[in-house]
Amino acid sequence: MYPPQQEENIYIRQQTQAWRRSGLITEEQLSAINEHTDIQLRRTNLFFRLLFFVFTMLGAGAVVGLFFWLLDFKDADIIAVMLICFGAAFYIAAEYLAGKYLFYRHGVEEALVVMAMVLFCAGCGILLSENHLTLTQLRIVVPALLAITACWIYLRFGFLYAAGISIVALSFIPFQFNLSPAAERIMLFSVLCVIFVFSLLADKPDLEDFRKNRYAKIQACLTTAIYLTVNLQIMGLFGLISMDRHAVHLNPQLFPPSIYWLSYVLTFLVPIAAIYWGIKSRKRIIITVGIVMACVTLATNKSYLGWTRYAWDPAILGIILVGLSLIITRWLNSGVDQRRFGFTARNILKPEEGGITPADVAAALTPGVIETQQPPAGAQEQYFKGGSSGGGGVEGKF
Amino acid sequence: MNTAKLLRKLRYEKKLNSGQAELLLNLQERRIFSVLRELRFFLYIGILLIITGAGLTVKQYFINLGDAAIISALTLCFAAAFVYCFAQGRSYERGEVASPNIAFDYILFFGCAFYSMDVAYIETQYHLLGELWENYLLISVALFFFLAYRFDNRLVLSLALSTLAAWFGFTLSAHRFYFENYYRLYAIAYALIVFCCGVLLYRIDIKKHFLDIYLNFAAHFLCIALLSGVTEYKILSLYFPALLLACAALAFYSVQVRKFLYVLYAVIYGYIGISIVIVDQIHRQTFFLFIYFIVTSMLVIGLIFKLSRRFKENQ
Repeated sequence: MYPPQQEENIYIRQQTQAWRRSGLITEEQLSAINEHTDIQLRRTNLFFRLLFFVFTMLGAGAVVGLFFWLLDFKDADIIAVMLICFGAAFYIAAEYLAGKYLFYRHGVEEALVVMAMVLFCAGCGILLSENHLTLTQLRIVVPALLAITACWIYLRFGFLYAAGISIVALSFIPFQFNLSPAAERIMLFSVLCVIFVFSLLADKPDLEDFRKNRYAKIQACLTTAIYLTVNLQIMGLFGLISMDRHAVHLNPQLFPPSIYWLSYVLTFLVPIAAIYWGIKSRKRIIITVGIVMACVTLATNKSYLGWTRYAWDPAILGIILVGLSLIITRWLNSGVDQRRFGFTARNILKPEEGGITPADVAAALTPGVIETQQPPAGAQEQYFKGGSSGGGGVEGKF
Repeated sequence: MNTAKLLRKLRYEKKLNSGQAELLLNLQERRIFSVLRELRFFLYIGILLIITGAGLTVKQYFINLGDAAIISALTLCFAAAFVYCFAQGRSYERGEVASPNIAFDYILFFGCAFYSMDVAYIETQYHLLGELWENYLLISVALFFFLAYRFDNRLVLSLALSTLAAWFGFTLSAHRFYFENYYRLYAIAYALIVFCCGVLLYRIDIKKHFLDIYLNFAAHFLCIALLSGVTEYKILSLYFPALLLACAALAFYSVQVRKFLYVLYAVIYGYIGISIVIVDQIHRQTFFLFIYFIVTSMLVIGLIFKLSRRFKENQ
């Protein structure tokens, strides 16, 4: 709904601000670029956007709540119709704000459109359940409806999280047909692959930069979804926690061996393909997702092979990651102009300062983790008492 | 017009020199592609995994390994890390100092984490400080502060501040992770100390870029402690005006320095505090509750909208 040139200008300005931050251009040059990239869309910063989103959701939710509380509807059909009406009203309001006042990633129109989506799907769900649809049918129709509405919102407003919601909703559908677990996985895998191929076809080289960037993010989401579908041991981890050894989803060993070993091979192939493709197409997010998936593959490898897990396994994975990072850095730095095939480990673009970073938070949590990992005091003496550690039960008294 | 076309146009108009334009075009068209962020990310994840793995190994196999092996291994690791940092680190400066290499910051962090693990293990097993065992945390805090400032390391500063919080009694153990009156006052004291330290060091021009870390710790501890007081005593205590004052101060500071993260904190904590009091005053009457949330959410939206227009954030 927004003019593509406007969105492209926003993308250009984001880049030029990074260049300015990094000292690659001067303030005058930034002004010259800004003169060429006029933006009429009304934007705000991330923090205000979050506040707008939260408080619009709160206000809109309270309006709906007050309406239903005052009128005290008893008939489910009327409740459903009213929910759909509210959904439509919020959607129209969002369209109005975006069209008339040019709100762009402003939080208010986003909250309205998300509320509209939720209310519309809830209303349709109630309406359908009241009209003789079985629970199984409902479990298929409602996620499908959610997937379609979220997809529409993505196409109309360009909200990436709407595309994410659409993919997640779609992923629920194959599990509602009472198919065998293997068939469910194959169906989901096929659906995700089809969407992925469509996203590749849509991602043409002559597209605007902002669209290319958006497609890269969606492709990263899809790659992750495909990986989560093929890695049976991810769900197996939940099985380990819940100790449910009979549910096939939670106990991957119960899958047919052919599917099991095919999935094992795919857990290696998907990350390798993603990393290769990311490097080739220079898509940063795909490279990152590919490496994270590769780490997960290494983490679940022992579970696939049925090998014993040891406490030092995370440390070994950590050493591999540190070693690889250092080797790659050294290799890149030893190239001509500290570059190899265009890749460099130099600090070229300075990131935006956000006050506190996730890295700082992780560091702050470290003492807590160390504290929880301490062996209990006096456990060693207890262990050597009573002969549980050997010695034929001999104690001090003997 | 896309970025590449714009850069060519600016070069043609001589607003960019050819070297600059070429570099920016190379960056834009990804002929130069920096992977520093990714390398740093995986290095940090790797270090965190090593710390986790070492901790788990100690916890699970301490009987098999024996105290001597564990203590000497941990000591060796952190000593090696510290020796490396002192050998390779750049000299101290009051301002920001760049790390000598990509791994430096993480090696220092690794050393500090292993030091904590070592000291915690010794204390748990041998009780060297007896009843005063928690004071070893203070020694760690002092060491971490020194290292954070000596080597300009944000991660170690975060570690120091959270270790100080642990000394005040705030740990991840479930039985202590709530705010009873005792801990509430401690949280307020902690927040004020951290805030004063941060501001003082900023004022005397030592590592001014660390201020945000201090403020984040202080803001969260203070606001959560005050909120817990408001939840317990509602309007009948000093917690409520203190919370309002703290949120106003946060918002004021945020507007002054144009760091809008603090507006987010101020609005969220302030709104929750006011809502707790108002909801209590209207005795949870459903109609007024809905009206309250409708009116106040619109007020907040209006306020933020005014603020955002004032700072021309829509540009």
